Amino acid sequence: MDQAVIIQMVVSGALMGLVYALVAYGFQLTFATSKSINFGQGELVMVSAFFSLTLTDLGLPYYLMIPGGLLFGVIAGLFVERAGVRLALEQKSEGWILMTIIIGLFGFSAAENIWGRDDRPFPTPIPSEPIQLFGISITWLEVSVAVGVFMIMAIIELFKRKTLLGKAFEAVSADRDAAELMGISATRTIMLSYGLSGLVAALAGILISPITTVGPTMASVLVLKAFSVAVVAGLESGFGVVLVGLFLGSLESLTSYYVGSGWREAPGLVLLILSLAIRPTGIFGKAVIRKV
Amino acid sequence: MLVVNNLHAGYGMSEVLMGTSLTVKKGTLVTLIGPNGAGKTTTMRTISGGLKPSKGEIILDGKPVQGLEPSKIAYLGLAHSPEGRKVFGPLSVEDNLLLGAYTRLPRFFGFRTKAAPDLDKVYALFPRLRERRKQASGTLSGGEQQMLAIGRALMANPKLVLLDEPSMGLAPVIVDEVFDIIWELKKSGITLLLVEQSAKRALEVADYAYVMERGRIAVEGVPAELEKNEKVVAAYLGS
Repeated sequence: MDQAVIIQMVVSGALMGLVYALVAYGFQLTFATSKSINFGQGELVMVSAFFSLTLTDLGLPYYLMIPGGLLFGVIAGLFVERAGVRLALEQKSEGWILMTIIIGLFGFSAAENIWGRDDRPFPTPIPSEPIQLFGISITWLEVSVAVGVFMIMAIIELFKRKTLLGKAFEAVSADRDAAELMGISATRTIMLSYGLSGLVAALAGILISPITTVGPTMASVLVLKAFSVAVVAGLESGFGVVLVGLFLGSLESLTSYYVGSGWREAPGLVLLILSLAIRPTGIFGKAVIRKV
Repeated sequence: MLVVNNLHAGYGMSEVLMGTSLTVKKGTLVTLIGPNGAGKTTTMRTISGGLKPSKGEIILDGKPVQGLEPSKIAYLGLAHSPEGRKVFGPLSVEDNLLLGAYTRLPRFFGFRTKAAPDLDKVYALFPRLRERRKQASGTLSGGEQQMLAIGRALMANPKLVLLDEPSMGLAPVIVDEVFDIIWELKKSGITLLLVEQSAKRALEVADYAYVMERGRIAVEGVPAELEKNEKVVAAYLGS
């Protein structure tokens, strides 16, 4: 009996962990090309979710709403790059940190004003009644989260490995100057990576909203966990964030079951601190050796 | 093919190039020699767009290119094998070569098929790269990385190749190999601008040479003449 409970806890926690992984993956995408990340990624998730909800309210069917929401994410990602990141990178400054936080705050206030402060349900045609699978009860909604996360990550990883444009991504990440000499525009590659990162954030919002409801603060905890996952796994490995995300998700749900639900947020922060103390490059990260 | 006229450029407040001028004619191998800090690499970087000139012009195949982004200049037919080789370490040898042809290949699918004839040509020139084509280029030896950097530049089918310090930091045997390759390239009729520390080797292979000192061209001429110039001999060719 107890074992069944543990498995149940692990599975539903792990599914939540996949969403952390997806948001963390969004950090990795832009870090690879530009060594910068969008600190307003959580707000991007939230605003995209609200936008998708509005599309649904306007009567758009669920499966047509998804591309609309994703497109919005891409545009928002491009906006963050253009408004908050590009100039800072050109000046070789770290100003993008503050700029992306500010854009995030702006998105937060805008969302409060446009959509209100209340959490709202996110309608979905995917059934949320639990089904029994190998003795574990799981909902189709949860399955859809897992499928969505794996699908988008597989598509982006295939793009990076199998297409020339994807290899250009990695070239910019390895040596920006040399990549420029090959005719690869670093600016455009960075733009594209922010667009993809926005897409990933929007998908995270669409997948998670039916479970958590939509509200201005829906992603503030989520993005904190995603940070932990990204730091613990390292900012290079897509495979790494999935593993660490699954681990953190299950650890959280076990903690909240055995220790108390107030402790739910603890494992992520403990892992983050441990990782920074023991292995700052992340478990799957490579040490960066800088020649001076 | 390339005309550089009264070029001024530098890093921040310090001007490194103070009126450099040089010409590379089509199908010739021109070398740029001179002491450390004379501005040879800076000249190369300015030609390929990595540095913006404060004054002067750079004409590539009849088009002014000064001030353009490096990625734009690459599309106009310039390939630059930079100092320090700068291969894409985590990527495989073959991926490095494919990216060398980036300006000519489709972005998504079918780029391998389209690049196959050029890959074969480069592999014929550097058989060792074919053996290691799946290997991460960061794990290659210095000599192999240099071959890769040259091969990657050739993949673009460029009108002009800039070779910056191809023998830097290599064992003498490997330097011989690199110069064998440069001879091969010369025979094949490629237009080359070569920056070299070992002036003697460079003058042997070059059709025309410029000697640079403190940001300006101090002496120029065909190698046979320069070898008679006492100042040049004393400074660079020694003993």
